[in-house]
Amino acid sequence: MILHPAVLSLLIGSLLTCFMLLLALVNGVRILVGWDMGSGSERQLALERRTYLVSTILSYVMSFQLISLFLFIFTADRLHSLFSGAMCAAGTLNANGFGYPLLILKVVNFLLAGVWLILNHADTRGFDYPLIRVKYVLLVAIVPLVFLETFFFCSYFLGLHADIITSCCGSLFSPEKEGVASELASLPSGPTEAAFFSVMATTFIAGLYFCRKGKGGYVFSALSFASFLIACASLISFICLYYYELPTHHCPFCILQKEYGFIGYILYITLLGGAVTGLGTGALQFARRKKSLRLVVPTLQKRLATATIVLYLAFTLLVSCRMIFANLTLRG
Amino acid sequence: MNRGFERHRSIIDFSISSLIRRKGKNLSLLAVYTLVVFVIASTIFFVQALKREAALLLGESPDIVVQRLVAGRHDLIPIGYVEKIAAIRGVSDVKPRLWGYYYDAAVGANYTVMAADSDPPPAGGVRLGNGVASTRRLSDGDVLTMRGADGTPALFTVEKVLPEASELVAADLVMMTAEDFRTLFAFPDGRATDLVLSVSNPRETTTVAAKIVRLFPDTRPILKSEILRTYDSVFDWRGGMLVVILSVALLSFIIFAWDKATGLSAEERKEIGILKSIGWETADVLMLKFWEGTVISLSAFLVGTILAYLHVFFFSASLFEQALKGWAVLYPRFRLIPVIDPYQLAVLFFLTVVPYAVATIIPSWRAATVDPDAVMRS
Amino acid sequence: MTVIELVNVTKTFNAGRTNQFKAVQEVSLSVTPGRVTVLKGPSGSGKTTLLALIGCMARPTSGRILLRGVGKPLFPGAEDNAELEISSLPERFLTAIRRSAFGFIFQQFNLVRGVTVLENVMLPAYPTGEKRGTVRRRAQGLLEMFGISRHASSRVDLLSGGETQRVAIARALINDPRVLIADEPTAHLDTGLSRDFMEIMGSFKAEGKTILIASHDPLVYDSTLVDRVVEMRDGRIIYGGDES
Repeated sequence: MILHPAVLSLLIGSLLTCFMLLLALVNGVRILVGWDMGSGSERQLALERRTYLVSTILSYVMSFQLISLFLFIFTADRLHSLFSGAMCAAGTLNANGFGYPLLILKVVNFLLAGVWLILNHADTRGFDYPLIRVKYVLLVAIVPLVFLETFFFCSYFLGLHADIITSCCGSLFSPEKEGVASELASLPSGPTEAAFFSVMATTFIAGLYFCRKGKGGYVFSALSFASFLIACASLISFICLYYYELPTHHCPFCILQKEYGFIGYILYITLLGGAVTGLGTGALQFARRKKSLRLVVPTLQKRLATATIVLYLAFTLLVSCRMIFANLTLRG
Repeated sequence: MNRGFERHRSIIDFSISSLIRRKGKNLSLLAVYTLVVFVIASTIFFVQALKREAALLLGESPDIVVQRLVAGRHDLIPIGYVEKIAAIRGVSDVKPRLWGYYYDAAVGANYTVMAADSDPPPAGGVRLGNGVASTRRLSDGDVLTMRGADGTPALFTVEKVLPEASELVAADLVMMTAEDFRTLFAFPDGRATDLVLSVSNPRETTTVAAKIVRLFPDTRPILKSEILRTYDSVFDWRGGMLVVILSVALLSFIIFAWDKATGLSAEERKEIGILKSIGWETADVLMLKFWEGTVISLSAFLVGTILAYLHVFFFSASLFEQALKGWAVLYPRFRLIPVIDPYQLAVLFFLTVVPYAVATIIPSWRAATVDPDAVMRS
Repeated sequence: MTVIELVNVTKTFNAGRTNQFKAVQEVSLSVTPGRVTVLKGPSGSGKTTLLALIGCMARPTSGRILLRGVGKPLFPGAEDNAELEISSLPERFLTAIRRSAFGFIFQQFNLVRGVTVLENVMLPAYPTGEKRGTVRRRAQGLLEMFGISRHASSRVDLLSGGETQRVAIARALINDPRVLIADEPTAHLDTGLSRDFMEIMGSFKAEGKTILIASHDPLVYDSTLVDRVVEMRDGRIIYGGDES
């Protein structure tokens, strides 16, 4: 077990989140079961008050997820020196089987919390809480995922054993012992580059079409999510290479470091932001049918779609500029 | 957009004025909060700074140190090994090292005695670390008496006292010539304490170490990277242990914060009731409570962090001195190099602000969901 | 024109418990727009609760409350005259309606202590996100209208009873409401100030505002300004309801 202050702080944060979500879940179930919009009974009024508690909790959870995502990667990076063979965060995450699943789950939970908050926002604009059931069903789905994330977190950090000299008579040293691999599976750069630019372009077109005509919400949303996935793969496959100016350094975490001007933060925040707003657009598509939201949702969706386009555009431009101006060519 | 901004601005203004209106309660909360931040921040900064110092120093340590083990215990290594080891491909330099410990009964302190291999002091002369010099009240030109292995006293003239800046590393150091060293300790000829090697290609250290063990199975090569990792780990562990201990304090703080937040005075309750009755909705009051909490958190965080910074880097963590001193008689005075990075601040934030925010969620919500007509009914 | 209609409205507190009681029982009332209506009755008759229900401060346990003439700003696409059932609106909408359409004057005035007179008057406008400068000017105008602008920066604790009431009235008007609701406004005032109060209400009536006052003060309900008196007892209307 690595008893690093950062690990402890992440653990405390994780446990607090679980506790808060448990509260949210209990209230959510109560709301799902007892909700009766038309009634003015005290029970209904009490339930309506509870909805505020749940949305407050979810807002905190989402901010926590975002910050802890970056803090987690940073910690993994700081700990890399404890594992022989680990050059950076990528190596630390490889140290045991829970590292990458934990990271992926963290991202998934962030996206889900974001979508929940978007649905919640739309719900408050309707005068009859039209999305209440959908929201709380989604909540019931999110909570076990966050619990799973905490479980992965504990398993990961408990399973980490630093390669240190543990006995004065022995030494780590043994030629057969392999260190932790720092390599990351990466896709070939040529096709990935093509896929990245084309899916981004398609997303932009679909988004503009959606903003003008108001049609094709689901298509746009699906495309934006595909862009997110391909962009992540592209970061590993070729984008990072241009930042490090090294054809072999595929680690997507080193761009978060000071040496590269913390550019990684901007890239990841635009990408994650765009993913959330894109998913939100799709999630709201079915809400158009609700009477009380008929006028509200399309405006909301347009705003979200515009945000997605702007964020992804920022990402693509930053990356393209880097690719043009870096001292590296992957061609030939 | 504009509406939202104006709304936030008005509510923030009101939250600051309402914090000031309840000075007593908020000042006591702020004081405790700042204290908690201060203590945790001091710990984190201190451990990080020490870690960095250690890493810098250990960066200078040799690539490989070869020790000899007999029956699992450290034994003296034959200098004859040097030739064969130097012949290994990749080894750029091999040197024997002479060093050991000396217990000075007069002051009850342990010194590290070392034979200087380059630029030695004159025969019969010693260079002393600051800690030794001040404990024995010696300065340049004075005489240091030590007891040799055979019981006879040995006299050394102090050629130089090492500068204060080196105190962290060299406080307890006594440097002399190799001959004086061997005489003092009746050190067997042809032996050394250990061997230090430089390896030209850092990637080869593991291979070289393997070859050494094959050549001389009674040796134990220690790699620099292993030392660095171990020290890192120990510091992290120490830092972590401290934080765990502090978590008791943290827990009390959370309970305190919860209590303060739940314990709305009648005045406060009435005020929120009034706000709700004149047209503020629950979300507005929640926002008010949120900004109140944020102002307090940020103030405590800022002040606590600045105080901790001053404490650790200008006062050398004097509050921790008693706890750290332990058995050490020669406790070095030191000035640590100020180093703070956003990462430490983020960790600190998670350990202090996040628990506070969570502790206030339910009390704030309770306060905000008061009925608008409650103030009419009472 | 703002029309307020209550249909068979009941408000129960502590339902299901031993201290359950119905503050308002099956009340049906149509509030005449542009007129002064007084709710008369002993304490405990449900006047205050009824006022809270009419003023969108509380939701009825059963029954319906309908409003006409408040819809436009909140419901994009709705006509101004559309009839809205507010009995099951979420708090957010109820409060928004209340903020824009209703102004309240409480029995205890309920000003925030420790805050200046001017800021007290501006408070109801904070959540609307309106520009501070505009709100401030409007507040100053209201203070001037009531002759208390010299107290703008004073703390409310230092004012006399009459001055405090005028601040409370100014606050009720900050969002330019169409309906004014006053709960026992003359309870802490002497005769002279009570008459002043009724005069102020008269001027609002002349502007076309609807005024609802709950009072057991004869000075109020016997005043010539009053168009309609509704008498209540034990949560029910016993006189002056819709039939008469």
